[in-house]
Parts: sequence; C-alpha cells; structure tokens
Amino acid sequence: MKYLKSIIAVVIFLPMLQAGQAVAAENSAHGGDIIYTKPLQSVTFSHKSHVEETGLSCDLCHAGLFEMQALKIQGKSNFTMAALAKGEYCGACHNGTMAFASTTRCASCHSGVKGGRLAQNHE
Amino acid sequence: MKPTNIDLAALANEGVENVAMKDRRHFLKMGLAITGVFAGGTLFSAVSVANKVFASPAEFADKYPYKPHYSMIIHQDRCIDCERCVAACAETNHVPHEGYRTRILQRDVPDAIGQKREFIPVLCNQCNLPQCTRVCPTKATYKNTSNGIVMMDTSKCIGCLTCQEACPYNARYFNEERQAVDKCNFCFDTRLAKGEKLTACANACPANCRVFGDLSDPTSEAYRTVHQIERAVWVLRPEAGTKPNIFYTKG
Repeated sequence: MKYLKSIIAVVIFLPMLQAGQAVAAENSAHGGDIIYTKPLQSVTFSHKSHVEETGLSCDLCHAGLFEMQALKIQGKSNFTMAALAKGEYCGACHNGTMAFASTTRCASCHSGVKGGRLAQNHE
Repeated sequence: MKPTNIDLAALANEGVENVAMKDRRHFLKMGLAITGVFAGGTLFSAVSVANKVFASPAEFADKYPYKPHYSMIIHQDRCIDCERCVAACAETNHVPHEGYRTRILQRDVPDAIGQKREFIPVLCNQCNLPQCTRVCPTKATYKNTSNGIVMMDTSKCIGCLTCQEACPYNARYFNEERQAVDKCNFCFDTRLAKGEKLTACANACPANCRVFGDLSDPTSEAYRTVHQIERAVWVLRPEAGTKPNIFYTKG
C-alpha cells in the first residue's frame, strides 16, 4: 500500500513536471525574445522569427557578430543606428539585400517604451 | 435645487445669422487665406487654392494670420516610441506622471505585410479655430494673437473641464498641483520665450521625427514640407473642422 501511493504519485506527477519544463523550454527556445533598452527603449529581437520562421542557423549571428550572452552588446558605445547603417551588428544582414535595410521599417524592431513594458509584464 | 425648465423648441437658433458682422468678416478672412491648407483635404488642393488666391508663394506666406505661425510636422514613420520627447516635455514643463502634454499612440496592423506596428505622436494641435477656447467660460484658455499658440491662464481656470470635452484631440489634462487644466503650449514659457528655437520634444527626438517651425517663413522646413505635392501630408481628425497646425507625413 505504501509503495502503491508513491508509484501513483510518480505516475501522476512526473509527466506534469516534465510538461511544465517543456513549456518553459518552449518559451525560451533558441534564446526567446531579447529586449534591448540601450541606447534607447526598446528594441525587441525575436529568436522565434529569425530562427524558427526564417530558418537561420545559430552560427549566422553567433559566430563573431553577437556573443551568446544576451544584451552584452549593449555595453558597446557604438551599438547605434549609425553603426548598423555601416553594416555592423544587425546591419550585417539588415542591409537591404539580405533583409530589409536598417534605415527602413523602424517600428518593425523598435517596440518602444510600450513594447518594453509589455514584455516585462509577460515575464 | 429646483431643476430649470428649458423649452428646447423655443431656443433661438445659433446659426450664422446671429454671428456679429465683425466675427463673420474675420472668419471669412481666415477662411480665404487658410481653408485650403488646413481643411485637412489633400495638399494638392491647398496649393492650388493658394495659387488661385495669391500671386506668389511670398504673398501666400504673408497671409498666414500669425507671425511666427508655429507649426509641427510629424514624420510618423520615424517614431520608435522611445518617449524621449515625453520625458523631455515632462521635465521641461513639470508634467506630473499621471498627466501628459504629448503622448505616443500605437497602432497595430497584424495582417500588414512587413512592418506591423506604427507609432503616432500626438499633442495639442494649436488649432486656428480652437473649440477649447470657444467653450471656456472664463477665457482661461485663449489663442495667442501674435503666434497662434493656444495658451492657458491658470489663475483664471476654474477646472470645469469643458475644454477637455471640446478638444477633438484629447490634448488636455487636469493638473492637480496647479489646480488647473494643463496642455502643450509649444514650450512657449519654458523655451521659446527664452530664445530657444525648438520645443523640448523636437529637441529631444533622436530620429528627427518632430519638425518644429514657422509656417509663415517660406524658407523653413515646416513650410517646405507642407507646401509640396509629391508626398502626402495630412492632419488628424480633419472632420472636426478646427484647422489644426500639426501636420503628419511619412518619409
């Protein structure tokens, strides 16, 4: 009887636990959303749209362009639109040929103060 | 208190026949000079009207009722909602957290191709025919006769909030500290009167989204943006008929 209870517990709760982990993993799969707040608020980078929907490989950005550590790039003083326009950072792909140029469609990436707040509330 | 009985049917029609001759003349004068530009129609018609009525652009500029005729052109697609303008405005004009003189609206279009979101900065439109000043019972809010800015005399404001109701742009809030309605005045007291050329918001914008200028000066960027026909220029809520001085464009 004693064993039966623990077996039932394992049978019932273990899948629930695993399901919970799976959901958490799905939310942050491939790095999740990165919300940049410097030099200004806020820019949303979606790993989902870049990796899952567009099918880009991790190496495309994470071999020299961006480090694995999220938001580390914000510490650099030239992490600006001017640098992007010269082909640095996001501008390496967002140059008008590979992807839409960084000088167009501003609010596609810039989610603003409102976007940053929304993302915080979801966390 | 006993409710007053008002016989609505017997109320006098407030139609144009009751407008004083002087007011009517004034209105017509404004209409002739400005209707084309501020009617909220396309700028094409504005320019053609201007060309019909006036011999040269210089003469047209002369007909702007204010000098300087302050205006703001908002390049809507450049706004990224960083809200540096909102912060700069709050700091310059001591706007409390719960109030606003300028805000950024967001419009989402999930079905759109490409960009699915846009931000729209809004502020007082400094209308040429402001409804707020018309309804104010104490003349606490008024149109400055030299530069056209809709201003507040806080000492006269009784906080009835009728102006808030009348404003088609929702540009007014009640300031608890001042016990008066507060609104954008193009930073007149805090910056322009001190010799600054730009409002705090235009000065703070990193994307040059807000172009502040003098519409009566044909060399100003504001004038040149409004008086061209290659790119659409529009106003918000033209149906309100208040002839706003905040123009919107893209590009």
